[in-house]
Amino acid sequence: MKRVITLHINGETFELLVKTNETLLDVLREKLGLIGTKRGCDSGACGACTVIIDGEPVLSCMTLAVRCQNHSIMTIEGLSQNGQLHPLQKSAIEHDAVQCGFCAPGWLLSAKVLLDNNPRPTLDEVRTAIAGNLCRCTGYRKIEESILAVADGKVK
Amino acid sequence: MKLPEFEYVEPKTVRKACQLLKEHGDKAHAIAGGTDLMMALKNRLKVPEMLVDLGKLPHLNRISYADKEGLKVGALVSLRQLAGSAVVKEKYPILSRAALDVGNVQLQAMGTLGGNLCQDSLCLYYNRSSMLRQMLKPCHKLGGDVCHVVSRSKTCWATYSGDIAPVMLVFQAKVKIVDPEGEKIIPLNKFYSGDGKRPNIIKPGQILTEIQVPVPSPYSGGAYLKLRLRKTIDYPLLGVAVNLTMESAGEICKHAALALTAVERAPVLIEETGEFEGKKLNGEAIEKLAEAAYRHAHPLNNICELTPQYRKDLVKVYVKLAVQQALQRLTKGGGVA
Repeated sequence: MKRVITLHINGETFELLVKTNETLLDVLREKLGLIGTKRGCDSGACGACTVIIDGEPVLSCMTLAVRCQNHSIMTIEGLSQNGQLHPLQKSAIEHDAVQCGFCAPGWLLSAKVLLDNNPRPTLDEVRTAIAGNLCRCTGYRKIEESILAVADGKVK
Repeated sequence: MKLPEFEYVEPKTVRKACQLLKEHGDKAHAIAGGTDLMMALKNRLKVPEMLVDLGKLPHLNRISYADKEGLKVGALVSLRQLAGSAVVKEKYPILSRAALDVGNVQLQAMGTLGGNLCQDSLCLYYNRSSMLRQMLKPCHKLGGDVCHVVSRSKTCWATYSGDIAPVMLVFQAKVKIVDPEGEKIIPLNKFYSGDGKRPNIIKPGQILTEIQVPVPSPYSGGAYLKLRLRKTIDYPLLGVAVNLTMESAGEICKHAALALTAVERAPVLIEETGEFEGKKLNGEAIEKLAEAAYRHAHPLNNICELTPQYRKDLVKVYVKLAVQQALQRLTKGGGVA
């Protein structure tokens, strides 16, 4: 069963034919080539597929694409603006918060939602915000430091 | 993981949604936030021919509060919306905190209050991959006639593991259920079936649309404590909710409510709390309350690596801790829980 849907992704509008049983992750990666969004566990446990829908962090592997019609979606490709990295991305590089990089698109977007709602979070609040994004390389310390550095205005 | 094929419909009214669910019976499944259902679909635990999307139903994403009627929350309100609501934080702070104890931020943003209350029960022998499932005879929950947890049992013992139900139970919440014939409001305590196979009484054609919570009493306080291993996606391995109302700023208890989750096939509201009413809630009384909760907890070896006895032992510890926290949070006369 197929259906034509309209998706608003990173400020662009796409009209596409999708199967009703395709997830947003399937469509982003396989139909639109937005492969920054990662397929990790594919079962809602790791957070690698996190995207932002209407300002909220959402697991794209657990979201049907047909349900995203007319919602505003941001993927990691939309985080930098006009060729300029987002402060969170700059800070991640400065703090060596990215090793293999598989979890980074997910936690960067979780961190963006956190800072959009709470510009000066505590360490505990940072930990809670990224608890849904598993990282098997860094031990989280550098990720937390890189997010807090942006909150403290140390990276702009 | 590919999802099975299904027909997808988006009814625009509750009435239409009920009709579709009734008409297609067990072949249709409702979807709200989807966090519970999507995994069941991916694992082929459920293979509905039709998915009825409740997401577009009007007016079910609202939170309202009135001084006489109390709180009304639409079933589609997300857990994150619930937790962040100013009126919920002010009047029912433990409800807000419990919503933030569910899974992680992403699951709170996607999951709805109605969906959380309707969450399916869990069992290691049911919630496993299709390959592993093939290694054992199908259990009751899979349509077979054996239980791999309680041998020779004729019923299913899957554990109810929702976080919000125990909190709603201690607040004496009610739920509105709509079907093609009309609507009814029932106490949440009557909503759970005690059957692991189908943990609630919702029948095909019925939709839980609203949760109603009475006005909090003056001199009351509450707590929800959750035992979990990872503080991320995990379900409670034990959850204890307490709501205490005192006669005044003193020690005399006017009303005590205590509920448990993840220790039975339904959330358990402890009935023995009545005997503490009008009495001092001192150390001895709290000990008795913990004993009563302990007797009603029947954790099984079907949700994780912690042994059932360990989880049962922690019931006493958590009840005492939760009561102490609730007493510390007692409000003055303002009616803030």
